[in-house]
Amino acid sequence: MSFKIILSVLAGIGVGYFILPSEILQYTDYILDIGLCLLLFFVGIDIGKNKDVLGKIKKIGVRVLLVPVMIIIGSIFGSIIAGFILGMPANESGAVGAGLGWYSLSSMMLATYSSRLSALAFISNVTREIIALLTIPFISKYIGDLESVAPAGATAMDTSLPLIAKSTNPQTAIIAFISGVIASTSVPILVSFIIKI
Amino acid sequence: MSIRLLLYLAILIIGGLFGYKGFGGKELDSKMGTIQTVCLLFLLFIMGLRMGLDDKVISSFLELGFQAVVISISSVAFSVILVKLVKGFVLKNTQQGE
Repeated sequence: MSFKIILSVLAGIGVGYFILPSEILQYTDYILDIGLCLLLFFVGIDIGKNKDVLGKIKKIGVRVLLVPVMIIIGSIFGSIIAGFILGMPANESGAVGAGLGWYSLSSMMLATYSSRLSALAFISNVTREIIALLTIPFISKYIGDLESVAPAGATAMDTSLPLIAKSTNPQTAIIAFISGVIASTSVPILVSFIIKI
Repeated sequence: MSIRLLLYLAILIIGGLFGYKGFGGKELDSKMGTIQTVCLLFLLFIMGLRMGLDDKVISSFLELGFQAVVISISSVAFSVILVKLVKGFVLKNTQQGE
């Protein structure tokens, strides 16, 4: 399955870059939305079939919030460390990491600060999404189900959720959705706050 | 974003209700697994396609690719490590099969 996932993403990039004209890009929005809704419906069915899963989430309670908090801290800290290696100011690299994979919003927010940083936020968060899609199955298999939510960041509530659900279990899928919602809500606050430090 | 969030939540809940009511039975279960896999691979293909079609992705990657890869790998690695650190506490009192 992991090989098929890698092949699908890479084939898409290759076909998009070498074969299809870029005018098609606008139409892919609709296809992506329909496909995503269909997959989320399937994820919902899987969750509904496991009748004890909501009880388990209840048992976890507010501790579930630790997952997005750790993802946010890890992402910002990791990007600041990377920025340090690359010779970037901590507020700039931190703001890029605070995008949490939401490339359109983070790059838009940083556009007024610097066009170069905006481009870096865009491509870093696109790269994060690609890394998430390629590594989620491996992380769930070799490190753990809950850890596989981390690469997804803000996308854990939408584009990465079907993959997380497929690679893990209904309990992790619910945690991923909650984590994605909190991460997505935090992105605008964190990016604007960190860049001003 | 809030409308999208509500839409996704509504779809998950509707799917959850279907699943809870035992929608489709065992026969459809096996077929659904295949449909789900095909849909997922198609979705991933489309996501890749969008990246390949977007000139901004390719031009930004050629210019800032190395920095982007270093930042994103480091972000992902540290977030995985931190989630691993709190996993035992988060999943306390639950039995997760892993």
